[in-house]
Order: sequence, then structure tokens, then C-alpha cells
Amino acid sequence: MKRKATHLMALLAIGSMLLSACGGNTPNNGTSANGGTQNGASTGAPSETPAGDMKLRILSANVGGKTPEENAKFEQEIKRLTGIDVTIERPASDYDQKVLTALGSGEKYDLIEGSDLGKLNSFVDQGALTSLTDFVQGSSQLSDPSVVPSAEWDQLKGQDGNIYAVFSKFQGGTMPIVRKDWLDKLNLQEPKTLDDYYNVLKAFKEQDPDGNGKADTYGLSTSGLYDIQGFMSAAGLKYRYVLKDGKRTIPYASEAAIPMYEWFAKLTREGIMDPNFVTNDTGKMRNLFLTDRVGMVTYWDAWVGMFNSTRQEADPNTTFEAKALASATGPDGNLLMRRGDPDYWMMPVNAEHPDAAKKFLEFWHTEAGITLGSLGIEGDDYTKDGDQYTLTATGKEHNMDHGVPFWYNETVKPPFGKLPGVQEAQDLVKQYATLELSLPEWADAEKIVQNYALKAMSGEMPAGDAVKQMQKELKAANLIDE
Amino acid sequence: MKALRKYAALYLMMIPVAIYFLIYGYYPLVKGLQVSFQDYRLMGNGPYAGLANYSQVWHDPFFWKSLTNTLVIGGGILALGFVAPLVLALSLNEVLHTRFKKTAQMVLYIPHLLSWVIVGGIWIFLLSPDTGLVNLLLQRWTGTPPIHFLAESFWARLVMILVATWKDMGYNCILFMAGIVTINPSLYEAARMDGATRWQQVRYVTLPQLLGTMKVVLLLNTMGVLRIFDQVFVLRNPSTAPDVDVLMVYTFEKGIMNMQVGVAAAASFMVLLFTLALTLVVRKITRFDEVG
Repeated sequence: MKRKATHLMALLAIGSMLLSACGGNTPNNGTSANGGTQNGASTGAPSETPAGDMKLRILSANVGGKTPEENAKFEQEIKRLTGIDVTIERPASDYDQKVLTALGSGEKYDLIEGSDLGKLNSFVDQGALTSLTDFVQGSSQLSDPSVVPSAEWDQLKGQDGNIYAVFSKFQGGTMPIVRKDWLDKLNLQEPKTLDDYYNVLKAFKEQDPDGNGKADTYGLSTSGLYDIQGFMSAAGLKYRYVLKDGKRTIPYASEAAIPMYEWFAKLTREGIMDPNFVTNDTGKMRNLFLTDRVGMVTYWDAWVGMFNSTRQEADPNTTFEAKALASATGPDGNLLMRRGDPDYWMMPVNAEHPDAAKKFLEFWHTEAGITLGSLGIEGDDYTKDGDQYTLTATGKEHNMDHGVPFWYNETVKPPFGKLPGVQEAQDLVKQYATLELSLPEWADAEKIVQNYALKAMSGEMPAGDAVKQMQKELKAANLIDE
Repeated sequence: MKALRKYAALYLMMIPVAIYFLIYGYYPLVKGLQVSFQDYRLMGNGPYAGLANYSQVWHDPFFWKSLTNTLVIGGGILALGFVAPLVLALSLNEVLHTRFKKTAQMVLYIPHLLSWVIVGGIWIFLLSPDTGLVNLLLQRWTGTPPIHFLAESFWARLVMILVATWKDMGYNCILFMAGIVTINPSLYEAARMDGATRWQQVRYVTLPQLLGTMKVVLLLNTMGVLRIFDQVFVLRNPSTAPDVDVLMVYTFEKGIMNMQVGVAAAASFMVLLFTLALTLVVRKITRFDEVG
């Protein structure tokens, strides 16, 4: 009797464990399976499926609510505006890993957000993405040049010439950002040449620009090699690969880079450069700028406005003023600036609801979609009275960014204008910035370039030796041709 | 068969555990082995590539550099991480004040509970060249110029070893102390009657009696030596990466950053084989299966 009872209990325990395990694995089985498109197959315009029946599963890095609660409201707002029953999953961390494991394990997402052209190309090479050429060209919304300028689509094309993604927002560029109020206080002009930059940075270090009577300020801070393009411009050097007559070159690993690394080493030696620049992450760099410890950082155009807005929120009477600067003028009088890789939506070949995904992509570029992606949820982040928008306290906190701080569509005007300093920064990007060329082998090359560049910049190694070693290792690993 | 019937209930209870290991342990292992022979594709079946992935890893200088780094850093952690807690356990064993002893144990154990993200952040801050406590103290005491511990290769390797030892010292110390308290007190009594000094009691009673625990700790630490990842990932930067990147960082970069999943799987199986070889060597050297 006792043995029977033991057997029964053991069976119950096993049964309940197995049942609970099975139960956890069936969350999406109820969704319709209208068959994903085939590998690399091109899909045309959205079907006439009633929106009320549409479901959509999105893996997102930036788009959506800031909290799980707001994310649920964001999903409801999309449902209200489009009729699509959408689920947005936003991993708290390790987004790239999540994307890779999701695709590799055959998990079915209809849209996945991305921001790295190198990865987009890898996904295309591995046959993981649906070609969207016919859809984009056949969509009256997306093919309208006032919604997305025609030339921009080249960024999202694979080697076969097909479009494999749709922009999720307008991506800007990076540049030196200076404390304009410090410049004014020290009667300095905005720097244009590398010598001008040196003089300004030195003054920030030595002339007590924050006026606290202590020598506690630095001229410049970066986060490693991110992003010194504004200064390397003085020698006409572009980051990553540059193809010369079909041959792969890395300008940062060329002889021309030696004087530039020596210039940085001089800044380090004279205490002008933040000594933590090698170990800084971008958050630390930003904090130094916001807390009056450093007079210049190198960062995104959008952050010019964020810096100004953050300090003004904390103290409306602040004299703090961040301003974007153009890169140092090159030997031929030209400037080189970096434009960031675009943020985009890609559709995996195993997407279960491609029609809903296309409907969403078109919506995302309409006024309603842009308003949702920028201001957020009506009634929660903002209220609207006629044409008059008013941000709520939550909306102010969310800084008008729910994945789309800026957009391409010229017919949609930002209801509150742009944050102070952003427009000038974006003008510089539009005028000078170009994309970097990221070949598949860049990941390996970057390790070598960064290692020796940082050693040279921090003075740990003479710049000439660093470049020589860089070239030797890059050639040995067949990562450059000359 | 009779025994099977007799203990049927117990065997039944083992089934969920076996299923758990089959699903989360052995299936990924077998799948990983399969992937290591494939030209892996994210979607659809990747064609088999024979030993191409293994060949690529074998001929990749970054892999051998990573192996060297792993042996230097992992070896350092293994040696120092074995000796330091042992010395600490022996020292704490001499402390008679119970409250102090327990407080010390608790304080030493706390870092083991913290994640590497927290520990890394703390040490990056402490080792900062301008505002870090370590450099401030060094400057005050010795007048030396600030050292950028995490940007210079020599120091960065040393920091990896010291911080890892510091973090897990409390845990290993507790293992050793647990071994010490099981030593028969009559052995000490006999030693004292023979006129042994305190040091001689440690040398001829405590250490020989602790040999079994030491073997277990050494073997466990050896098995983890080639798999170190977290601390390096948190404390590395591009300036020191070539001198501190270990095998698991290599695997991570190949698989996750470069999306060469087949190559990453091949590299991890090579790490697995190296670990097996290393463990067998350590078992042989320490005569693990011999009592005492």
C-alpha cells in the first residue's frame, strides 16, 4: 500500500512537471500561419486582408514603450491606429544576441529592428531576409521621395541590388560637440583647423572655464576611438575601409595617420585629454560633459539637443550651451564627417504575417506613425486640441523619442520644433557626413586598428611604430590589400 | 531487474532530471557538434563543410593568441586563486574571536555574490588614473605618476588575475574552512603532546588532512580555467583586447558579433577538448582518486 502510494506520488510529480513544461512552450500556436515567403523571394504590395484579422510580432531595440506597461499601451495604440493586433518584444539587454538566437532557432518574428549595415548584409548573405524591393517600389507611401528620398534606399540594398529593409527613422551623424558658453567666456572662436582645436582644448584645460578656481577640467573626452573622425578629418582620413582602385585600404592604418596619433598623444601628455578615454563608455563621456568636467566630446547630432535640454530641465537659468562643430578642415580644404548606419526594419523569410508587416511599415512613415514613434501615445505622452499638441509630464520625461526622434518624411513637421542646437548639427550632417564602408572582415580589422591607435593616442607606443605594427598585422591577416 | 523493480519509484523520480539534462545539456551539445561541421546558415539547413571550421580556427592567429592569454590569465587565477584562499583559511582558523572570524568570512564572501558587471564597474572606478582610489593612494605614498591599469597590457592582465582572485577568495576560503573543521582534534592533541609548534601543527596535521579538499578545489578551478569570460568581457577595452581576450571571448566574437556560428561552435569544441585534457592531466598529477 505504502509502495503504491509512493508510485502514485512520483507519477503525479512527474506528470505535473511535464505538463507545466509543455504549457510553457505553446504561446504562439494560436496565430494564423499563412506561410512565410521563401528564402530571398520578393514580396509585392500588401494584400487586402482586413486589418482586423491581422497579427504582427515585432522584435524591437528602440521602438515601443519605455516600460512594460507603456509598451502594452503602445501596442494598443497601434491597434487603434491600424487595426493590427501587434506584439512588441523589447529585450532589456543583449539585443544583438537575442536577434541572432531568434533567427537561428527559427523563432518567427514578422519584423526585426536593426541598426548595423554589416549585420544586415550578413543576414542577407545567410538567406534570412525577405527582399522588399517590389513592396517598396509598389508602395505609394514608401516610394514617394518626400517620404524617403530615393537615393537613401541604396543604403538598404544587398549585393544583389534588392532592398532588404525599410528605414525606421532618420539616422544622423557624429561630430565634435563643444561647450559654446565656455568658448564665449574665454573669448575663443569656434575652431576650424586642427591648430584651432588644439588651442581651444588647451584653454579649456588651463583657463578654468567653469570658474570654480580648481584645475579640474579637461579639454576633450572620447569613448575610445569613438568617434575621432572630426579630428582625423584634418588629415583627410576616413574611418573603416576605403576602396582605392578596388583595393582595400584602411586610412587610419596609413602613414598619414601618424601625425594625427601624435597630436592625440600630445593632448594626453599635456593632460588636455581625459585620461580615462580608453576605458570610457559613451555614458561616462556624456556625464563628464554634463557635469562641467570636459569642454568637448564627440557624439551624435541628436545629443546636442539632449545635452541642452537636460541642463535646462535641471536649471532653467543655466548658461550651459552645447553646440555642434564641423570637423577640422582637411589638407584639400574638405571636411570628413561620419554618418551613422541607418536604423531599419527587416522582415525574416519565416515571417508569418508579411501582409501585416507591410501595412505597419507604410503606417510607420505616415504622420500618425511618426507621431507615435516620436511623441508617443495620445493621452499618455501628449494631448491634442485641434492642431495644438501639449506634452504631458510623462511625454516630457520621454523626450519625444519612442524610437523615432527624427524622420525622413518632409511632409510631417515636428509639432514642438527640434531641441536647441539639433537643427544646426543636422545641417552639418546633411552637408558633410558620409557613410563608412563596412566590409565583412571589418570586425577583425577593427580590433587591430583600435588596439594600436589607442596605444599611440595614449602615448603607450610611438605613433610610427603603432602604424607600422598595424599594417603588418592587417596584411598578415589578409585584411588590407595595400 | 529485481533492483530496478525495487527502486522503481526512485528511478521514476529521476526521469524529469534526466529529461532536463537531455534537453538543456546533451541536446545543445550534440547540436553544437553538428553545427561545428556545417557552413551554418541562420535560416534553413547549412551544408556540411567537413573540417573546414576546425581548420579555420586552427589556422587563425587570433585563436592561438587567445589560448595564450587564457593560459596566462587562467593559470594566474588558478595558482593565486588556490593559494590565497588557502592562506586566508589557515589564518582565519587561528582566530579565536568568533565574531571577528564570522564577520571576516562574511565580508570576504560578499564579492562572490556580486555579478561581474558590478565588480567590473567598481574596479574600473577604483583603478581610474585621475580619480581612482588606487592611484590616489599610490601617488600619496610613493609619488609615482598615475598608472592606467586597464589600458596597459601588463597591468591589465595582472588586474584580471587579482580581481578574479579577490572576487572568489571568500568562496574557496569557505570550502577550505569546511575541510579544516572536519579534521580530528585528537591529531592536534597528539601533535601538541609531541611538542609540535603552531606552525608544525599546520604543516604536519592541517595541510595533509586538507589534501582531499585541496584536490577537489584545484580540479573544480581547473575545469573553469579555459572557460573564463565574464570578467574579461567586462574589464577589457580595445587597447588591451589582444592581450586579455580569452578563448570564450574569441568564441563569442566569432558567433555573436561576426555571425560565424559554425566557426564559433568548432572553437568551443576545441576548448572543450583542451579542458578535458587539462582536467585529466591535473587528475593524474594530483592522484585525484587516491585517498589522502
